[in-house]
Amino acid sequence: MKTKRLVAMGIAAVMGLNLLTACGNGSTSSSSGSGEGVTITFWHAMSNAQEQSLTELTDKFNAENGQGITVELVNQGAYKDLESKLTANAAADTLPDMAQAYNNYVTDYVDKIVPLDDFVKNDFDNWEDIVEGYRIENSEYGFISGLPFNKSTYPFFYNKTMFDELGLEPPKTWEDLETCGAVILEKKGIPMLGYDSMCDMLEIFLRQNGAQYVDETGALFNTPEGLEAVEFILGLYEKGYARLIGEDSYFSNLMSAEQIAGYVGSCAGVTYIVTDNEGHEFELGVAPIAQGKYNAAYNAGTNLMMFTKDEAKQKAVWEYMKFLTSAESQVKWSIDTGYVPVRTSAYESDTYQEFMNGDTPGAITARAAYGQAPYGYVPSNYFKGANEIRNKVSDTLTMCISEGRTAQETVDALVQAIDEVVK
Amino acid sequence: MKSRKAVTVLVEIVKYVVLIAGALFTLLPFVWMVLSSLKSGGEIIMIPPTLFPKKVLFSNYVEAWTAAPFPRYFLNTVLVAGITTVGVLLTSILSAFAFARLDFPGKKIVFSLFMATLMIPGEMLLITNFVTITKLGWMDTYQAMIVPWLANVFYTYLLTQFFSSVPDALYLAAKVDKCSDLKFLFKIMVPMNKNAITTVAILSFIGSWNSFLWPLLVTNSKEMRVLSYGLVRFQSEAGAQYQLIMAASCILVLPIVVVYLILRKYILEGMAYTGVKG
Repeated sequence: MKTKRLVAMGIAAVMGLNLLTACGNGSTSSSSGSGEGVTITFWHAMSNAQEQSLTELTDKFNAENGQGITVELVNQGAYKDLESKLTANAAADTLPDMAQAYNNYVTDYVDKIVPLDDFVKNDFDNWEDIVEGYRIENSEYGFISGLPFNKSTYPFFYNKTMFDELGLEPPKTWEDLETCGAVILEKKGIPMLGYDSMCDMLEIFLRQNGAQYVDETGALFNTPEGLEAVEFILGLYEKGYARLIGEDSYFSNLMSAEQIAGYVGSCAGVTYIVTDNEGHEFELGVAPIAQGKYNAAYNAGTNLMMFTKDEAKQKAVWEYMKFLTSAESQVKWSIDTGYVPVRTSAYESDTYQEFMNGDTPGAITARAAYGQAPYGYVPSNYFKGANEIRNKVSDTLTMCISEGRTAQETVDALVQAIDEVVK
Repeated sequence: MKSRKAVTVLVEIVKYVVLIAGALFTLLPFVWMVLSSLKSGGEIIMIPPTLFPKKVLFSNYVEAWTAAPFPRYFLNTVLVAGITTVGVLLTSILSAFAFARLDFPGKKIVFSLFMATLMIPGEMLLITNFVTITKLGWMDTYQAMIVPWLANVFYTYLLTQFFSSVPDALYLAAKVDKCSDLKFLFKIMVPMNKNAITTVAILSFIGSWNSFLWPLLVTNSKEMRVLSYGLVRFQSEAGAQYQLIMAASCILVLPIVVVYLILRKYILEGMAYTGVKG
């Protein structure tokens, strides 16, 4: 009796499954079966406002491209999930037609990227209009591996109310970092500074002091300039002007609770700063980050890469890529999301200039981002292990700071951590 | 007499204090999740944190629920976790019985091979499993999420240990009564070990319910995603909407609590083996 019931239940379950799968298949096949049109899939990691804006842009493209191209957007979770997904699909040779990716995602399957050189040469509106740093980044593999799409920079977010009250300006130099830090610590008892990403902070300070960071041969900062930069960083933390963040947390939270007076983090984070909490109402300020002997500001964000081997699909992907990186799309995308435009002409467009002159959080962030754009660099991460180095450097630096190690000890520990990955 | 009673009472009190403290300690994250799911986005990041929300916002649940097709995710997760659990129970019970009770050539070698696979970290199998799934053309299907997890060596091992401890006499007695192996297994062995089997069922269900990476890897369409995928929607590189994550987590965890409440009596039941007479 019992066995019979089990079998019956099993059959029912299988039938139910088939039904569900059938529904699923039905909806996908209907979208791709429209005559001679081409359907391409685009894997991305955008969520919330960013996903909404991307969907709007894509809907527009699907409706207006006039060539029967349909783009299917597939969200694959957060960046790290997208990365795992791409790695697995590269191994199975089932990569999507196109995807968002950092260069360091693809170091193990560079040969699967479709070079875009010919597309750019024959059918692209002004490659020189793309911001130079992004052009360099997308040429690191010796060919044009992608087009920049969602680009961010790390400006300095600060509590303007607090700075004004103490008669302070946002720090412009390394010396300002120390003087501002001292005043805020003395008057308010809180640190002035935090960095969302430790490895990026290290690279910023190294570059600003004329030192190099890392390449495929290993660490490059075991030099007097490098040591000096590390010493300065350690000093900020030791004196209490800067603080570390724990795991799974963001400085935007500490900022909202007025536990910190400012921080350096992604410009896309501005929407997470709450300035009207009861008892913690303040005005938000955003400024370009403080500079050292040399100017340097960190740029982040992914590029669009093409993987499809099918010629018709390649053409379709290219049309879509051109659309997403066009000045018009970039202006909308940047205003909607807080990313920075990848084209000079998009920066200079009337719409974007008008937006930047506003006083919304997005606008003041955009102004700060624009202010430090000339110093922007994109970290080199085209070599194998680049991603692992990021994690190791962040962990090692955090450990050295919390253990109060000396500058030389810290440099040694960092160099060792990096060399372990490279060798 | 009286003093002994006082001591007993005292011992009871201490016992309960320790138990209550333990219960609070275990419950706190859960309570925190529920309370946080009702706070505003600003309040949730306040320092010092508030325990009870200043203003109770049930709207978080609405917002979380509508941010993604959760009903569909829910259905998928229930199906995947349910079928996986049934499958795991079937394979583990049958193989555990074979290892514990039956004699067949090469039993020890096969068992050692089973054990050896426990040494291989799951991450290493991820890519090869994935390649297999794509070669089979199973991308974006339920079987891709279910089939690779239908057998579990650890649960087989666990049940083998339990089954081995059932006295031989029972098996031999059943054999004398002309009871088939399968009948013995399901009429005597399984009921006698229902606590262990329930534990396996719960662990398997929870594992399947919470799994994230594998379902993400083998699905692409919105119709095939599972609940855990819904949670990452509220996180980004630069910040997270904690109140929505918490609300979605509450929704996600609810069925697990229900399953636990239903099966609770089996877990809590002592290891009451029926003895062998004589």
